[in-house]
Amino acid sequence: MRRSTRRDVTGVLLGAGLLAAGGAAQAANWLMLQGTEPPDAGARARVWGFIQPEFQSTDGSKLPAGPWKGQKAVFNQIGPDLESSSQFNIRRARLGVRGTAFPLDNRVNYFFLVEAGRNGITKFGDAVSLTDASITLNHIKYARLRVGQFKYPGSEEGLQAIHVFDYINFTNVTNFLMLERFFDSDGSVPGMDPNKPNGSVGAFRDLGIQLFDTLHVGDWEHSYAFMIGNGNGINRGNDNGKYNYYVYLSSEKVFGGKGPRRQGWKLYGWFQTGQRTLRAGPDQEKQDFDRTRWGFGSTFRKDKWRAGAEVIFADGMIFNGTDGAAVPGSLNNKGTAVASWNVLPEDKAWGFYVDLGYRVHPKVELDIRYDYLDRATETDANERVFQTVTFGAQYFFNKKVRMLVNYELRMADAPQLDGSSVPNRILDEMDNRLSAQVLAVF
Amino acid sequence: MIHRLLSSLLVLVLTLPLSAGAETPQSEDKPFAEVHVVLQISDRDPFKQTLVLNVANNLLKAYGPDKVDIEVVAFGPGLRLLLADNANKGRIEALAGSGVRFSGCMNTLRNFTRQLGHEPALNPHAVKVSAGVVRIIELVKQGYILIKP
Repeated sequence: MRRSTRRDVTGVLLGAGLLAAGGAAQAANWLMLQGTEPPDAGARARVWGFIQPEFQSTDGSKLPAGPWKGQKAVFNQIGPDLESSSQFNIRRARLGVRGTAFPLDNRVNYFFLVEAGRNGITKFGDAVSLTDASITLNHIKYARLRVGQFKYPGSEEGLQAIHVFDYINFTNVTNFLMLERFFDSDGSVPGMDPNKPNGSVGAFRDLGIQLFDTLHVGDWEHSYAFMIGNGNGINRGNDNGKYNYYVYLSSEKVFGGKGPRRQGWKLYGWFQTGQRTLRAGPDQEKQDFDRTRWGFGSTFRKDKWRAGAEVIFADGMIFNGTDGAAVPGSLNNKGTAVASWNVLPEDKAWGFYVDLGYRVHPKVELDIRYDYLDRATETDANERVFQTVTFGAQYFFNKKVRMLVNYELRMADAPQLDGSSVPNRILDEMDNRLSAQVLAVF
Repeated sequence: MIHRLLSSLLVLVLTLPLSAGAETPQSEDKPFAEVHVVLQISDRDPFKQTLVLNVANNLLKAYGPDKVDIEVVAFGPGLRLLLADNANKGRIEALAGSGVRFSGCMNTLRNFTRQLGHEPALNPHAVKVSAGVVRIIELVKQGYILIKP
């Protein structure tokens, strides 16, 4: 091979060339970032993780009506324990290892992550729970394979890396429709044995196999993913022999940079469907119910601005909160039943969110988000509309450590019921919520 | 006056052999280079790949592409930088365009071939040298400054 030099290349051209090359060299989207290593530049084992200590508080307003009148309202308690309206917590504490087991062969990557914080994963599962354990095989161009337990391709809020999430709490539409809780019963029969989750929340993950890749066309990056999974969240087998199917498509115009905060404009759409087995109805007979979700949205990040919007639709297996909005497990005032978690297996819901962020200073970003959820649209008595406006501020101590402060203006109502009805009187007591969190990635 | 002239001639004669003995690095591609640097990459850490390319880029910016002569020598686990699919291939392309040379160790390549069962493709800008460490010694003997970021 002949060594060649172009002596007329100026420093300016050099800089421009390096900038362009830097942007194209790193495949930067959630499918690629969470489990795929850069070719021939991945470590054999890279240890990493993050910690999120936080404080959250509401006024702790009590239930003004209904069978649990005067008791704690579940929506004014702080999760996952729901015992107090104000508390410190370690929301997440995750430790992981990722890399290429055999560095010379960059076609095989692995990703391993455990959760030791206090949240819906560990509250209902083990104190230390496996969240990710996947192997990615990059042998076939445009047809990479990922097997194991990992984030399914879907809603942006769930699919994105949580350590770059710009808020402390999820939107209602994501929390109720996408952050799946798994139950044995729909909770429709009152009694002294409360219906409760049978394990960890789904954490936007599934166990299965995914075919995916990203195609670069000029400044655009087009991605696809198909996945088949158990449809049973994390650390569970397939309890009903039915599988969940996922489809995801995205196109992003890349403006520059790399990694999770890469600048670009992305359009995406997704669909998922499966069946869940549940004891339902007055007879509590075991039945299979369809659970389908789909949505589309867009994200934008350029210079000081950041924006996002997504619409989500849900058909079947609608998580419906608790009886009388009481804390699950609490006895009603007559002493006849305890509050259960509920699911509406054949109802529908939809919602959306709009989010905007602006860096007023290199170390400070101000954020505002509006989210809307119309839950149980098929039954007037059950329909609830939730609206939240979240004001946020982020202070970046450095690239790895930041502090978030959020204030949520929360509103809810039962639109098909009279304003003086019990559900509406209860929902009127929904408090605003203040949250503060420090996030350190290592 | 004559005495002073003779003294000057004597000094000149005495210093001539010394000047001839101190070899000045010469590069066909960089005839105007005033600084000659060999950058060693022999580490498996991917961060070092980025670092060595950053150093090369910073040298080009500091001295100007015509005034600095840079050769990156990769051997051992560091040879991954010069494999064809390496994530930094775009940066290597840009640096090669500014005259940075890249040398890959044949001994390591043979070792990689044994482990993989096939010879991995090298970056088109990489030039095979029989032994990376020997290449570095040769360049240092020519007057290159060795830097191992």
